[in-house]
Amino acid sequence: MVRIILLDVIVPVLSAFIIGLLFLGIFRKVVARIHWRYGPPVLQPFIDLIKFFGQKGFSHGFIFDTGIFLSIAGSIVTILFIPFAGLCALKGSGGLLVLLYLLIIAPLGMALSAGESANPNASIGISRKLILSIGYEVPFVLIILSLMFYYKTISFVEIIDAQKNFHWALFSPLFLSGISYFLILPAMLGLRPFDVASAPQEISSGGIVEYGGQYLALFHIEHALHLYIYLSLFVNLFLGGGNIFVFLIKMFVVFIIGIFIHSVFPRLRIDQAIKYLWRYPTLLALLGIILILIFK
Amino acid sequence: MDRNKISKWLKEPGKMSQKYSLSVVYFCTGCGIIEIPPVITARWDAERFGVIPVASARHANLFMVTGYVSLKTLKAIIRTYEQMPEPKYVVGFGSCPINGGMYWDSYNTIKHLDKYIPVDGWIAGCMPRPEAIIIGVTHLWTLIDKGMAKGYVKYRKKYKYFRQNQEKLLGKLPWQPAFSTGDNNE
Repeated sequence: MVRIILLDVIVPVLSAFIIGLLFLGIFRKVVARIHWRYGPPVLQPFIDLIKFFGQKGFSHGFIFDTGIFLSIAGSIVTILFIPFAGLCALKGSGGLLVLLYLLIIAPLGMALSAGESANPNASIGISRKLILSIGYEVPFVLIILSLMFYYKTISFVEIIDAQKNFHWALFSPLFLSGISYFLILPAMLGLRPFDVASAPQEISSGGIVEYGGQYLALFHIEHALHLYIYLSLFVNLFLGGGNIFVFLIKMFVVFIIGIFIHSVFPRLRIDQAIKYLWRYPTLLALLGIILILIFK
Repeated sequence: MDRNKISKWLKEPGKMSQKYSLSVVYFCTGCGIIEIPPVITARWDAERFGVIPVASARHANLFMVTGYVSLKTLKAIIRTYEQMPEPKYVVGFGSCPINGGMYWDSYNTIKHLDKYIPVDGWIAGCMPRPEAIIIGVTHLWTLIDKGMAKGYVKYRKKYKYFRQNQEKLLGKLPWQPAFSTGDNNE
């Protein structure tokens, strides 16, 4: 029991927090180098986090305080379902099906919290974020369905076991679904072609416009966990997981490609984003399901 | 630059993080804003010192007033300043916020910004070069280190003085006082 709590619960959540913040630092550094700038130190997100906790934020009501905690709680529970280098606290229960429901809790908590602040920019930001999540959840459900068809299981651990010794899902009949997941990954992470929800130049950072001090710190923690969840899902489902070093290297490579896409593309409007998400990734995911029905 | 000294981080993490993570609201009041884009882009990259522009006053802890301050802008400046979370620092940029500059006899600009909000530091010049902004940041670090950048405490303590000056200039202000002014005449 103690081992489960210590090893399977605390280690994945803590490392998700640290990995997420480190990746945000690397993100800022790599973007700076692509701009031919020197860039901030890699530990800058940690410095920011300490600063935000030292500031005195303004509360806008009860839901404003609790919504952000709901969002973090949703992210933490999701992390407990995802295997982190062999550690998985809730491997016996639910798997992919529960994950589909859990993933919507984090954006909903943010929406509740930002809605309470009653700022027009926040309303526009959260409406864009929820529309975008509808946009990427359609191909995402199709991808999860194709995985469940192919491996005949809903368990994460069994899917990773089936991909041992380089039998990655990306190089199996599932490759169309893998490409489709990669195409919607920037929308999930909020990277540049799809950063309409947090556009600082248009709508003053969207939903987080009224967050100051500790609230912004909590949002940054949530952002880091969110980054970890979607990257580790891709690595676990399509690149075969692995031990801790292999896992981190795979996540890092996927994230670096995401940063390159982020730094060269301009921002899409929300209607263009939905048009893209419901056309190419959805079509690829549907073709992937057909391919699996033929080959299996 | 003592950003990598772990002993200082352990001793006073609040002060160190305030120093090395300055989120700035560049308040575009006048011509001074033209010197800001070179500072935050590739030539004089201010992000390597942790100085980054933010879009909302709630996220910021450094307020940079760039250029002359007209009466109409002063209202927005006061409201922006009161919305920022403490601790917060203000830097006046250019000659005009210091003493009026070339607008010293204008009917529509103010001459001394520090009569209306507390100002922690000034960058003189018309215009200051982008290097001057980076030197100003290092001076602000020194002030924070020595505990001298306490403008926000002064604003809380002497709020009556600031509010009186604001009301003398702008008439009756349409927003509530941020702190108690000490009298019950309202």
